Amino acid sequence: MDLDKCIACGLCAEKCPKKVDDPYNAGLSKRKAIYLQYSQTVPLKYAIDPDTCLYKIKGKCQACVKFCPTGAINFEDQGETRTLQVGSVILAPGYQAFDPAALTAYGYGRIPDVVTSLEYERLLSAGGPYQGHLVRPSDHKEPRKVAWIQCVGSRNTTPGGNSYCSTVCCMYAVKQTLVTAEHLGRGEQSQTIFYMDLRSHNKEFERYYQDAKAKGVRFIKSRPHSVEPGPHNIGVKLSYLTMDGTKAEEDFDLLVLSVGLEAPKDAQAMAEKFGVTLDHHNFVKTGSFSPVATNQDGIFVCGAFRSPKAIPRSVAEASAAAMEAARALVEARGTLTREKTYPPERDVSPDEPRIGVFVCSCGINIAGVVDVKGLSEYAAGLPGVVAVENNLFTCSTDTQELIAKKIKELNLNRIVVAACTPRTHEPLFQDTLREAGLNPYLLEMANIRNQNSWVHQQQPEAATAKAKDQVRMAVAKVARDYALERGAVQVVQKALVVGGGVAGMTAALELAERGYDAVLLEKGPKLGGNAWTLNRTWKGDEVRPFLTDLISRVENHPRIQVMKNAALKTVNGSVGNFASQVEVDGALTPVAYGVAVLATGGQELQPKEYLFGQDRRVITHQQFDTMLREQAANLQKANSIAFIQCVGSREPERPYCSRVCCTHSVTSAIKLKELNPQMNVYILYRDLRTYGLREELYTRARELGVIFIKYYPDNNPRVFTDGPDLKVEITDPILQMPLRLTPDYLVLAAAIIPNAAQDLVELFKASVNAEGFFTEAHPKLRPVDSMVDGLYLAGLCHHPKPLDEAISQAKAAVSRAGLVLAKEVMQLDAIKSQVTEKCDGCALCLDVCPYKALKLEEYRDNGHAHRRIVSDKALCKGCGLCEATCPKEGVTIHHFTMDQLKAQVDAVIESLN
Amino acid sequence: MISIHILTLAREIGVHRNTIRNWVKTGKINARPGPGKGLLFTPEGFQALCQEFQLQPEHLQFKVLTRLSAPDASPSTANPLATREEHVSEKVIGSVMVVGGGIAGIQASLDLADQGYYVYLVEKSAGIGGKMSQLDKTYPTNDCAM
Repeated sequence: MDLDKCIACGLCAEKCPKKVDDPYNAGLSKRKAIYLQYSQTVPLKYAIDPDTCLYKIKGKCQACVKFCPTGAINFEDQGETRTLQVGSVILAPGYQAFDPAALTAYGYGRIPDVVTSLEYERLLSAGGPYQGHLVRPSDHKEPRKVAWIQCVGSRNTTPGGNSYCSTVCCMYAVKQTLVTAEHLGRGEQSQTIFYMDLRSHNKEFERYYQDAKAKGVRFIKSRPHSVEPGPHNIGVKLSYLTMDGTKAEEDFDLLVLSVGLEAPKDAQAMAEKFGVTLDHHNFVKTGSFSPVATNQDGIFVCGAFRSPKAIPRSVAEASAAAMEAARALVEARGTLTREKTYPPERDVSPDEPRIGVFVCSCGINIAGVVDVKGLSEYAAGLPGVVAVENNLFTCSTDTQELIAKKIKELNLNRIVVAACTPRTHEPLFQDTLREAGLNPYLLEMANIRNQNSWVHQQQPEAATAKAKDQVRMAVAKVARDYALERGAVQVVQKALVVGGGVAGMTAALELAERGYDAVLLEKGPKLGGNAWTLNRTWKGDEVRPFLTDLISRVENHPRIQVMKNAALKTVNGSVGNFASQVEVDGALTPVAYGVAVLATGGQELQPKEYLFGQDRRVITHQQFDTMLREQAANLQKANSIAFIQCVGSREPERPYCSRVCCTHSVTSAIKLKELNPQMNVYILYRDLRTYGLREELYTRARELGVIFIKYYPDNNPRVFTDGPDLKVEITDPILQMPLRLTPDYLVLAAAIIPNAAQDLVELFKASVNAEGFFTEAHPKLRPVDSMVDGLYLAGLCHHPKPLDEAISQAKAAVSRAGLVLAKEVMQLDAIKSQVTEKCDGCALCLDVCPYKALKLEEYRDNGHAHRRIVSDKALCKGCGLCEATCPKEGVTIHHFTMDQLKAQVDAVIESLN
Repeated sequence: MISIHILTLAREIGVHRNTIRNWVKTGKINARPGPGKGLLFTPEGFQALCQEFQLQPEHLQFKVLTRLSAPDASPSTANPLATREEHVSEKVIGSVMVVGGGIAGIQASLDLADQGYYVYLVEKSAGIGGKMSQLDKTYPTNDCAM
């Protein structure tokens, strides 16, 4: 397949006679042997499946070659081996979904209405096999009653399963229940999740889970033991045991198996090829303090190939891996990339519009519905139009050359492309204009495909009339387009890091190693933060040696300026160019910087319940870690130690999971059992959340005899003293009986709360969620960027997380910050707000601006005080809310001025007159 | 590039090998860690080293490493990286290979390319997007995965 020639018109797939199961739709629908992976795939090019193509297997057919209008298919083409010279390698091969066929009790493959969660995802999707109309496989009817079984292939030590927790399945199942409810709408319906521990431990996940509960999703703590088909092989019958040991049976219309994640099947081959070490699950082995580094220098790993994880952490790790990969190559940055150069721009402002219109047929995509010949003739008669061309594919390389040639020959100064969507194709045509010496903003696109031929296939005449309207509007607007210049900001090649804990120090050190100066602010007298109180990571590595080494490297690095007892007092400017005053011991120091990393950290909540502060035997994790470190001999003598989980977390006041406490209690319990195997160790928990590979610690703790007792929030443990004894009373839901423990120590797994950062929120105009954690720009895809450009988040100030995740987030923050620092001058977009002389400073627009790009300014003119708005070009995103709000055209958006919009509206209503 | 084993250098100068490592860290010796326990010097750095410690190059055991484009003809072993010593490139290469075009691979590639590194994004299927492209919506915002 010649990717330069393929224009993804789809004729080849239409003519291809070979139908095969579509792996993209998890085999639930068919595709052809020549196919698009999915409709929005990148690159948007057809591919031939060599295993099913008739010509490839039988040597006959080639229908696709015959029908391809651009000659893009060439069966003579052979695969080639290329040698690449690279400075670093990042491994991100992802995961494969667990295949539940081996777990025969669940009936997958035997019972039609048992599907995997990935198949169910396709059933729900609008791009899926049934266009998003939810039906079950057996009789294609809507399933009103759906059940999910969690931990299919995960947390399973029997053969055929994986012993670890796959981390993401609890949440995707909860999501699927809510989306299912939306799909089914009114009428009787129910969703039931059978789970072991519900693990909603990431940011905003617990709230989502509670929301699902409130909406009526049933959560049953049980692992169903057998699944049988319903009558006539339709639906399923589920057998399970409830918490109190009663046998139960229930019928469902459809059963979804929440399958786990596992290393891809070629993991070992890949590991051998690169010489990296895998663990016993075939995930890449990484260290506690170097979370994305493999055992091979220069080879890094991110995403699910390290351990199962959700999208936000994969994305953050990807940035961290990019940072590591780039650090070793700093001196070669820019040596293999090229900046494109363009001829000088022609000034067209004094000239009358000379418009060229290019009408695209898009193969038959447009021409099959819209009369493109008639449209072209019509366009030629519009005011200002001096040239019209109809092209088979306006986006093809030869048409770009044609456009450039016409611009020069006919002295065109404005271009209209009537084709597809500007979202995908505007940059291409803008580039063609620039290459021909025209400003890129002298272009308009009329979307006569997505908004016309694709949706009006049955009404070709009306579609053609609409296309004429669209082109008339574009011509009217382009005549009023003027050249725009992209602004630029000088980037200060320096970073500010707020917070001297492990996340902040890691960020500062990595920035410095990348060759950027960093200023590290610490509000206290000492670097290190919470890490001083920790003993070991969950992987068993000692924290202290790492911490002291990190501190000395930070303090001695020539590029890092450490300011202790420091407070940020002012923040001016925006991305690329911030200026602040920092107060140290009452003295103010100015600091200029291009980007900032916020790593202000968090702290352990001081509990109010369970006699904390009243009885010295009731302590928190951080205090207990100190005891383990300093008084291990004393602890060894204890008869009994109890832990209570979720103290202050997952409560109405703090509806989030603190993420680290379950693992912390389990590792401490293991340590105690190792000190004294006779000791009674109890962990009282709600859901045990040893996510990912940490699950093995939970298994080990149970093997060592640690006793786990579940409690529900409406039946919290009761703690009291009885004479000299400390007592803990709890109702065991399995025994259905109250238990009374007499622990020597009671350890409270207290919540992590963010450090107060309200001053920073106001200074940077950043935002925090209801619990005070900083908000990221996008919860899935930009987990490290804050809502403010040039400001990045790392560590506990974003959400509770263990040390290795804080480190990888700090490294990711440096990668993201590097995108700004890599350029000495940062180009801004040209479509920005512009305050006009009509502005009288009424300030209506200030409140609507979501980017806080507008400011009110007072000035004096002839002795009179006036007010007006000033727009910050670096902050403005050109969304246009201010223009829509202003009652007097006091502010406008370039390229969407009132004049330009009016011209378009006038043009469209012309056809009504 | 000239590679000298760290122990050779420690013996010649008469200090502990960790002292040599510290000197490299603090910049007293202008070298960077190479493959194995080797230290990599530029020819200039090597001359400066010899001058400072009055070492005689002809008595020193060292390796001159060649460019990657002229690989050693020695037979390869099962682990291709085991022969990296001979394959070390003289200059740092400003490109990165990213294996896998799912959401993690895409993000890593974008971060690198935007900072001026050439990226080879290697994907085994016909399009990038990976598993995430098969998802309907994503929690906790119920945004469309696409």
